[in-house]
Amino acid sequence: MSVTVLDAALGGGEDETFAGRSTLASAWIRLRRDRVAMISVAVLVALVVIAVAAPLIAQAVGWTPTQQDRTHGLTPDGLPMAPSARHLLGTDNLGRDILVRTVYGARVSLLVGVVATGLATIIGVVVGVLAGYSSGAVDTGLSRLMDVVLSFPFLLFAIALVSIVGPGLSISVVVITFFSWAGIGRVVRGQTLSLREKEFVEAARSTGAGSARIIVVEILPNLISPVLVLATLLVPTAIVFEATLSFLGLGVAPPTPTWGNMISDSLPYYSVDWWFTLVPGVALLLITLAFNLLGDAVRDAVDPAAQRTVTERR
Amino acid sequence: MTSRAITRTAGVCGLLLLLAACGGSSGGTSTGAPPTGTPTNGGTLKLLGSGDVDHLDPASAYYTVSYTLERAFTRQLVSYPASSDLTTATTVAPDLATSLPSTTNGGITNGDKTYTFHLRTDAQWNTTPPRAVTAEDVVRGLQRICNPASPSGGLTYYEDTITGFTQFCDGFAKVNAADPAAMASYMNGHQISGVTTPDRSTVVINLTQPASDFLNILALPFASAAPVEYLKYVPDGATFRQHTLSDGPYAITSYQPGRSIVLNRNPAWTQASDPLRHQHVATIDITQGQGSDQAVQQQLQAGTADLSWDLPVPTAALPALKASNNPNLQIFPSASNNPYLVFNLLSPNNKGALANVKVRQALEYAVDKTAIGKIYGGPSLNTPLDQVIPPGQAGYQQFDLYPTAGHNGDPATCKSMLAAAGYPNGLTLTDVARNSGNHPAVAQSVQADFAGCGVKTKIVSVSQGDYYGKYLNSPSATKAGTWDISEPGWVADWYGNNGRSFIAVLFDGRKYGPNTVNYGDYNSSKVNALIDQAESAPTEAQAAPFWAQADKQIMTDAAFIPFQTQKVPVFHSARVKNAMWSPFAQSYDVTNLWLSPTT
Repeated sequence: MSVTVLDAALGGGEDETFAGRSTLASAWIRLRRDRVAMISVAVLVALVVIAVAAPLIAQAVGWTPTQQDRTHGLTPDGLPMAPSARHLLGTDNLGRDILVRTVYGARVSLLVGVVATGLATIIGVVVGVLAGYSSGAVDTGLSRLMDVVLSFPFLLFAIALVSIVGPGLSISVVVITFFSWAGIGRVVRGQTLSLREKEFVEAARSTGAGSARIIVVEILPNLISPVLVLATLLVPTAIVFEATLSFLGLGVAPPTPTWGNMISDSLPYYSVDWWFTLVPGVALLLITLAFNLLGDAVRDAVDPAAQRTVTERR
Repeated sequence: MTSRAITRTAGVCGLLLLLAACGGSSGGTSTGAPPTGTPTNGGTLKLLGSGDVDHLDPASAYYTVSYTLERAFTRQLVSYPASSDLTTATTVAPDLATSLPSTTNGGITNGDKTYTFHLRTDAQWNTTPPRAVTAEDVVRGLQRICNPASPSGGLTYYEDTITGFTQFCDGFAKVNAADPAAMASYMNGHQISGVTTPDRSTVVINLTQPASDFLNILALPFASAAPVEYLKYVPDGATFRQHTLSDGPYAITSYQPGRSIVLNRNPAWTQASDPLRHQHVATIDITQGQGSDQAVQQQLQAGTADLSWDLPVPTAALPALKASNNPNLQIFPSASNNPYLVFNLLSPNNKGALANVKVRQALEYAVDKTAIGKIYGGPSLNTPLDQVIPPGQAGYQQFDLYPTAGHNGDPATCKSMLAAAGYPNGLTLTDVARNSGNHPAVAQSVQADFAGCGVKTKIVSVSQGDYYGKYLNSPSATKAGTWDISEPGWVADWYGNNGRSFIAVLFDGRKYGPNTVNYGDYNSSKVNALIDQAESAPTEAQAAPFWAQADKQIMTDAAFIPFQTQKVPVFHSARVKNAMWSPFAQSYDVTNLWLSPTT
């Protein structure tokens, strides 16, 4: 695919046929027509904007994410305060503003989600292609490695590693990446295995192309569609991983707000202070739902078999 | 001192803290329900909780829940009466002994160094046939305290007082801990030189020096009498746990680790033989595996269970219970200093700034103790504390060397004193904090306070297990500066004359080493000398002034930052009557309450 093709697709308008367009260009057109996907994109864009603009929002609201409003933000018994003009979405157990903390929490979630997914995708594609293309001992070795990683108990490993290294943002990314790449790697290996037997690869090989050229020019472009789907669906998984680590106190060190540690903090209060759990919970739900729906839509859009269902749905 | 402390902190505070509010508190007035009405016998008392006992063997059991259980199936030479009055409930009374030894009744002789106990003859084990509890059983109980398989966390209390105890234990430690026969042979073949039994019903204990708190030490359940049958098992082993015997009003009839414990009336026990306990309820049923304190609280309020086993009343549920004046909620004092901030005096960070008394004195002003109290449920449960000894304990003399308005902290004073101490640009400190319960909130509150004083704090979140092993209890980690400050807690092992369980444990620098509770290695020759004088004083009244002086010296040196002392809220179902506070178990005495048949 080239940029010009994509541009043509973008400018193309809804009534154009898919004839003569690349897979991705056609997929893009189908995606544009999927209302659920577009709503998900809008939600995600809004969340990104909120995350980027977090300091501005904090300034507008008048609280920093770690500022403790001890006298007016807590009851005399130390319970969080309900939403009010002073704290629009209420306070947490230290009298901190939940709105501002949730907004800042989006930064950690998005950062970890995107970075971990990016790293996992790169590693997964590299290992998957190497395994699928090379066959033999290299394939066996890498495939077993992926099996081993996939069979690792996530929480046990995370708890052990964090106990040794100490918690933090980068260790969260490392742990999540480590547990995510093998899934992509397996799919990529399978795809590569079938692609490498295809006629156009045979043709390239017969014209004297080396392995590196075949992988980069012939195979990788054909992996973009499945990898795109997997990556989109991996982001929400990574975000939930991060929230799980934070929830268990193994993620980003306090007082940095994350949705996971906010939910963890709120648990003793769920029966009396609903807003404390609800706000970060809804934020987490929204972001994972948006990414999942988008991922489904991307899959529908790039998968030719799903094309019919998409058009039928219209 | 030793692992005793750890178990205790991990037990009382660990166990309860983990789930919201730490147990512990102190001072003030006690309010137990007065004994009212005619006792009703029968029924099943249902307790609900999350986890198992730490140990089932009295020699090593150290959790508050274990104390709840031990009240029902073990007896000691001396113990504590059930009472709604805290002073009575924490004053030693005879149990297996016919009377309290004193200088006037000839029980304490040899310049306060020899204690003679006469045993009542009607206390019996639930063996077949029932067999009397003898002086040998009492001695065996003392010997088992330092068994190599599961030694007691309170070992040093006995080693520091009883003649020959250390020698006996040093030899015992070399015995194969997996071989019951070898341990039995050692116990039968060796004696604690200071403990003798002139006849079947007399125990004589010699001390190395006078100890005014010795009866408190003997009243700890570690010193429970142990029947000869216990020699057959590895102490606290799985087999032992299925074969406990009882000389108390109840016997363990079913023990399923981590799931349930059932006690039924002990037929060998007679009311006439026991001045402290009763046998009102027929069965005590403990169910474990409950997920949260809130789930348990809901059941207690619904009446489908009677008492919480190991979970606190949820902090969030308290305001509503208090507002409705719920008669089933009671709030009791305890002898605690929890949490507090400990300084690592060995830390090389910031060029060893924390070893500088002026730096520590400046930081004393920084903390908003009222805010810490709010984390633990507010002022009805938490009282700011400015010294080691909480109110109501020996040597308590109220003082505050670093006063701030409303205990809200004074960042300006802290800042200027820090500048005067040579740190105008502040410090950067590492705060190691547990990642569960209220601990993260406490660390963040302190972080905000210190920031006001220009001190940056980096919080290192660790698990409960790593907290002691990898950080506070590790002299090498402490010396390497892996932590500068931390917020542990402490609850004394007994009430009143408990300087040995408070100041000596927390601040005797001569005992610094692995498993110490003096985490930051505070070591003052002045304080050490005062501890020696207090511990060897013949009476509590003579010991108290030394403890008070030590308290003042420790605060002058700003060895730590006390935050508060706590009260414990305890809830019972509506049908529980005659609920008497057991300060040691931090629960109600299961051998004194009864169940109303109507509600």
